[in-house]
Amino acid sequence: MEGILFPHATPEGREGLKEYRDRGGYQALEKTLNGSPEQLIQIVSDAGLRGRGGAGFPTGKKWQLTREAPEQPRYLILNGGEDEPGSKKDRVLLENLPHLVLEGTLLGAYAIGASKAYLYINARYDDALKTIQAALAEAKKAGYYGKNVLGSGFDLEIEVVPAPHNYVAGEDTAVIEVIEGKKAWPRQKPPFPVTVGLFGKPTAINNVETLANVPPIVLKGADWYRQFGTAESTGTMIFSLNDDVNRPGVYELPFGTPLRYLIEECGGGIKGGQKIKAIMPAAPSSAFLSPEQIDTPLDHNSMREAGSALGCGVVKLVAEGTCIVEELIKIADFFAAESCGQCPACRMETSSLAMMLKKVQAGQGGLPMLEQFGKILAFNKGKGFCNLIAMPGPPIESAIKLFTADFEAHLTTGKCPVN
Amino acid sequence: MARICLVCQNIDCKSRGSEQLTTELEKKIAAKGINDVEVKPYMCFGACQEGPNIVLYPEKSWYAKVQSQDLDDIVEHLAGGPHVQRLDTIDSSLKELIYQLLDTGVF
Repeated sequence: MEGILFPHATPEGREGLKEYRDRGGYQALEKTLNGSPEQLIQIVSDAGLRGRGGAGFPTGKKWQLTREAPEQPRYLILNGGEDEPGSKKDRVLLENLPHLVLEGTLLGAYAIGASKAYLYINARYDDALKTIQAALAEAKKAGYYGKNVLGSGFDLEIEVVPAPHNYVAGEDTAVIEVIEGKKAWPRQKPPFPVTVGLFGKPTAINNVETLANVPPIVLKGADWYRQFGTAESTGTMIFSLNDDVNRPGVYELPFGTPLRYLIEECGGGIKGGQKIKAIMPAAPSSAFLSPEQIDTPLDHNSMREAGSALGCGVVKLVAEGTCIVEELIKIADFFAAESCGQCPACRMETSSLAMMLKKVQAGQGGLPMLEQFGKILAFNKGKGFCNLIAMPGPPIESAIKLFTADFEAHLTTGKCPVN
Repeated sequence: MARICLVCQNIDCKSRGSEQLTTELEKKIAAKGINDVEVKPYMCFGACQEGPNIVLYPEKSWYAKVQSQDLDDIVEHLAGGPHVQRLDTIDSSLKELIYQLLDTGVF
């Protein structure tokens, strides 16, 4: 299938400026600079573009709010921190299609009236950092950014900032803190970055994949874009599959494609031909789906109705014969380690959950232990500066519901029912 | 069941001196001749801003903002003396949550 981002559905190596221009590259920028930023925001809103970093917030709306904020200057941040375990879509875009990402960034900056854009890229992505620097040099030479872009009067500076690779460093306000030279600690919200962001000024923070969708939308139009996907989740999304399938990789699929297609046709099915015990559509923080839910369409609404979420598209499979408690311990340990520690509630909750799961694994605490998970999660709901505190909840609560017998076996016999 | 005295050793309470408190507390308990109380570190009670936090279990007494000079009163309590009311400042809903975790053996 022809993708929106990957011309032939899969990435094919680094695309240089000439190749990109030969397929219409930077025409969206030229077209946009002849019109108004408001027209650009309108097209992106009409296309229904939603953020691909996990939250799915409407991009046009974010830009409009930033543009309407009275303070100057404004900033655009390309968020390529990509700290979600197993996610590789942003790296693949940056390494293979740097000019597409860059053109999207320029368009975003024009939309909000930014004078400076920051490219915040995972510091471990050596190749992506090199590729984007090379693309920046080419684009500057061609006059696509800098002073008076293509004679339009639009000025834009761009700076690359390597992102620390801890999990919260990808959170919007932590990104701002890092660019300001501070520790990657999320800020209390409100105020939201669209009004009080980088250096206290209005700031739009967009994921790499989100911005990469903008040039095709501008070039081919909102109606064309809406042909892909569903009414509320338009376009495509890049999904990341890892070592639990036969063909790990990134796959661009229209929203609404059945989960089964991604797992079986793209990923070649679960490794080792085992049966699937559970599916996590947005690892590591979404609810598990049962194998019977494998035909759930990959879009925001369908996943929500199924009790889970789409996140940033890291799909993880759990094979039959795997101890679900052991899987949850890995997840809970991850969040306990990645909690930045500034919010007492998060520190207490994440460390307690990890310890409680280890007690379950060891067969300690008896059946009353199961009730404690819901209590501690409910107690901490809505607390904390960022969403990390809410992340261990869906995997743990869904697993207890789907695999109650496994938990009970641990707690009553002290033995793992599968190992 | 032996009594325990849980002293938070997470970063915030530590920065407020909880390691020193642990050592002093152990010494004072021994000096008092109390031999059924074990002083143990705890991961986090979720009341960092009120730290250092010490919880006596199974008594379920939570003492917050504990300083060196408070330890004698806490040891007195462990020896059968009165509850140290001035250090009992934690919100009851948080206490209830943590006590339930302790009741299920999470420590």
